[in-house]
Amino acid sequence: MIELQHDRLVFSFPEVCPAAVLWVEFRRALRVPDDGQDHPLPPSRERFPLRHVDDYAARVPAAWRAHGGVMLPMYQAEALWIAFDSAEDNYRGVCYPFAVKVATGKINAVSGTAWSTGLRQHPQDYVVVPRQPWLDGYCVANGSVRQFVAMPLGMGATAEEQLTGEAAYGGLQIEAFPMKRHVFERRFPMRVCHLRQSIEVCFCEQANHLHLLEAGLGPGGRMRQKIYADPYALKDWDLEHSSRCFVHIANSMVWRQVTGENPPIKPPTAQKYAQAGLPWFLWYDEQHASLAGADKLAGLQSVAGPAQAGHIEAPAKNQGATPERVIAIGPGLPGKRVREPKG
Amino acid sequence: MDSHFGQYIRTRRQELLKTSNQYTVRKLAARLAIQPSYLSKVERGEVAPPSEATIIRLAEALGEDPDLILALAGKISSDLRAVILKRPRLFGELIRQLKDAPDHAVLRIAREVRDGKW
Repeated sequence: MIELQHDRLVFSFPEVCPAAVLWVEFRRALRVPDDGQDHPLPPSRERFPLRHVDDYAARVPAAWRAHGGVMLPMYQAEALWIAFDSAEDNYRGVCYPFAVKVATGKINAVSGTAWSTGLRQHPQDYVVVPRQPWLDGYCVANGSVRQFVAMPLGMGATAEEQLTGEAAYGGLQIEAFPMKRHVFERRFPMRVCHLRQSIEVCFCEQANHLHLLEAGLGPGGRMRQKIYADPYALKDWDLEHSSRCFVHIANSMVWRQVTGENPPIKPPTAQKYAQAGLPWFLWYDEQHASLAGADKLAGLQSVAGPAQAGHIEAPAKNQGATPERVIAIGPGLPGKRVREPKG
Repeated sequence: MDSHFGQYIRTRRQELLKTSNQYTVRKLAARLAIQPSYLSKVERGEVAPPSEATIIRLAEALGEDPDLILALAGKISSDLRAVILKRPRLFGELIRQLKDAPDHAVLRIAREVRDGKW
């Protein structure tokens, strides 16, 4: 089952194991410059508000009601990253493993393939939690992703439109598969608990304006981030007990009309952030194998393309910025696994 | 008058008075912006419980849950009332269905994110 708690999706599988709980949250991010260079990880900002689509059924498109799920507000050209965490089994001192598929517009963000049932290892189309603490974008090369950036549907900028030629779905799709319980118990026998490193880390008469409401995600600037290879066997995952959620993206400009709530304030530009001397982050982990990028995703055009072609309003200024403070974080390094700017 | 409410308030105040002199009738009444004599009468059950706003301030001053203290005074908070009055039949039936359910079962009522057809 999936619950919505404090703007987080909580996937729980009590029928598999009490510890099989996965938290997924969507966080606002500074947009990294789209200058072809690999940038450090941008700092975390607050969580996007999440709301049940059903609570605003009279004011959202019919397709959203059919998909179910939740919705969040994003400004055009705003960036998003996804944070993952799973519950720790107190008897084993480890966090319960999950395979998590992430897609935008039903295009898999790891493999670039169309949404499908189950899991595939060749090419791998999922991330493994807790090893993968976060996902900031499309896996385009080994050690490199292109940031998730919101664009209106129907303008040809989203990954979905570039690969399928259609703007049929938009939004984000998430599906989680827990590890089979007997596999978990065999791989992680009970022992004296030890400290783990914690990751603190959606119209009735206005139907002709619906395209202004719906957004999808497309590729923005590049950043250094590894998508880790699955260290387990495909048969270790419990394909009988997955849960999935459709996360719709509403343009922040109409969020208030739909929900009656104010949208989050506009994010600062990378340039202003860097000028303020605030830190960027580098996730340092040389010990685990990572995936090569997906060719389909590597060939995508930047969301800046349609703006330059004059098809849509240009995104907010996003000139290059040179981070002066880059903080290395990761397993074995001092400090916590957080991406919070401090001072 | 509701002496149970008053007794509960007095007992809790006296417990806190053992650790801080800020919980005399006079000082607590001053924090609640009411007369000490009125607070005394409330504690003795000689007058009806105060308004919702005063009860909420009282609960906060005593470190108690406002909904619990309001319930002791025979009241429910205005926000809860609004929720129930918006869909009275639905919530009326829900509450009746749950009246004898154990706490852990009530706590497990969770709203699932609905999955539809993609």
